[in-house]
Amino acid sequence: MAPKDFRAELVENRKLDDGTFLMSLRCPEIARAAEPGQFVLLRPGAGNDPFLGRPLAVAAVDGDVFTVLLRVTGRGTEMLASRREGDFITVRGPSGRGFWSSREGEPLPGKIILAGGSVGAAPLIFAAGRLGSAVTAAAFGFAGRGWEGTAKLAEELVSGAGLFSDDGAFGRKGTVLAGLPDELPHDTEIWACGPVGMLRALAAKYPGSGSRVRVSLEARMACGAGGCLGCVIPLVTGNARVCADGPVFKAGEVKWDDLDQI
Amino acid sequence: MTSTKFDISSRVGGLELRSPVIIASGVWPYERELWSPLRLEGVGAVCTKAVSLNLRAGNRGTRVWETPCGMLNSIGLQNGGVHEFLREGMPVARSSGLPFLVNLVMEAEKDVRETIAALKDAPFEIPALELNISCPNVDGDGMDWGVSPKSAARAVAIVRREWKGPLWVKLTPQAPDLPAVARAAEAEGADALVCANTWLGMAMDIKKKRPAFRRVVAGLSGPAVFPLALRAVWQVCGAVSIPVVGCGGVAGWEDAAAMILAGASAVESGSALFADFNLPRKIASGLAAYGAEQGAASIKDLVGLGRDGRA
Repeated sequence: MAPKDFRAELVENRKLDDGTFLMSLRCPEIARAAEPGQFVLLRPGAGNDPFLGRPLAVAAVDGDVFTVLLRVTGRGTEMLASRREGDFITVRGPSGRGFWSSREGEPLPGKIILAGGSVGAAPLIFAAGRLGSAVTAAAFGFAGRGWEGTAKLAEELVSGAGLFSDDGAFGRKGTVLAGLPDELPHDTEIWACGPVGMLRALAAKYPGSGSRVRVSLEARMACGAGGCLGCVIPLVTGNARVCADGPVFKAGEVKWDDLDQI
Repeated sequence: MTSTKFDISSRVGGLELRSPVIIASGVWPYERELWSPLRLEGVGAVCTKAVSLNLRAGNRGTRVWETPCGMLNSIGLQNGGVHEFLREGMPVARSSGLPFLVNLVMEAEKDVRETIAALKDAPFEIPALELNISCPNVDGDGMDWGVSPKSAARAVAIVRREWKGPLWVKLTPQAPDLPAVARAAEAEGADALVCANTWLGMAMDIKKKRPAFRRVVAGLSGPAVFPLALRAVWQVCGAVSIPVVGCGGVAGWEDAAAMILAGASAVESGSALFADFNLPRKIASGLAAYGAEQGAASIKDLVGLGRDGRA
């Protein structure tokens, strides 16, 4: 379904770390329709300032409730983080094509490796729940100190997940790429979400396997529904809208060197 | 007293509008589901994304930037060209049953004539054109035509010769003498004027220590510009006798009412739909209640009422 606007009740706002929150909202329409990789836009306040919704990937659904992982990066996300249980938030969604619908009928591979960076863990946590034993490995990377709660959540929700931290505060020291195989077997795909630098490095690590590395991208956007063309990125086939054609793309399709807007 | 039945339908610039709320150009995608009657409740007409002769890739780099009560955009008229529009966009636009306006990019004379010829050859009639002489995000076309009365007159004359159907002209607030541009467009045969497109602004990315947009400048829209747009509507309504459609920061029925009282026959709303898809329905019902409360019979009774005889 094309995204719609709803008023959703905030049923839980759990602080995971300083600046990172797990927010659960009651919205049956979105909770029932959302697939891993899709996102919603949460409006920070009720008035015109801030003006636009903040795009956040769905991290889980449970009955009528969906959950997002919020990182405070500015005034709008700070306003969202301060909302209390019982508050109503205007939400648009579900937006985009997730890890399933972006395949356009192409069957799932036998084995899937999940690779998440920072709050990019969210859609992969959601995907892991749906994929079950098809997930053969998972790696989540974080800056380190100050991210312990978020890392612990990812580890709890994705069994067997390996943790990585840039500063060595927890898990293995290094980036998430260290947790991935040198060669990607033919029956295996990597599904990834995280900062663009991480995704670019991931694409470069498997230059011949670009169609088996699926990345969920982010971009500044206004409508989240394909209308404004604000979130357009360059693919080898031409322009694509992150919000409606993506956010999940094959890494081999993305013109990484021209991708400077995010 | 709200018992009076207030009629929000009207005829504006050659189009029958069931509601005075029009979706501005650059906002509504061609996703078919979004053109269903339920999704377009309260909408009187839809302006398409800009259509040029050939494919335009649009601008590189950052394209949108939030500002207080608004946003800047530098999309750069991205579209697949008129033939792709006729093949893919138009069937979707027609599916709603509502009138739509093809937002036509003013390009070089030869190009724009060829675009119009293609539109006239379409298997179905195009209800109206909205001539874009006001986009601030490209070089050479768009706004460059709309800043002076002389070039605006030339643009409208070129299109008017080729297009006999309803022709609306979308003005730019960057025109130093907007009423003069409006009069020039009227003199060359425009059926209605849309007042106005976005306001030239810019943003600095203080983290990267450079302008946020590659073209440096970008178009400002949203509730932040409403008082500016209302002033422009007031001036243009005082300068011409053809219908004027107010556009700029309309984000609620009160804004629409203010534009109409200033002389606008209808309003376009754009950026505010990014924040609220249901806005047209809310504006339409708010206007209906307001009109009835005032004891008016229809939108026409309110148009220009706030001028109290002032030109």
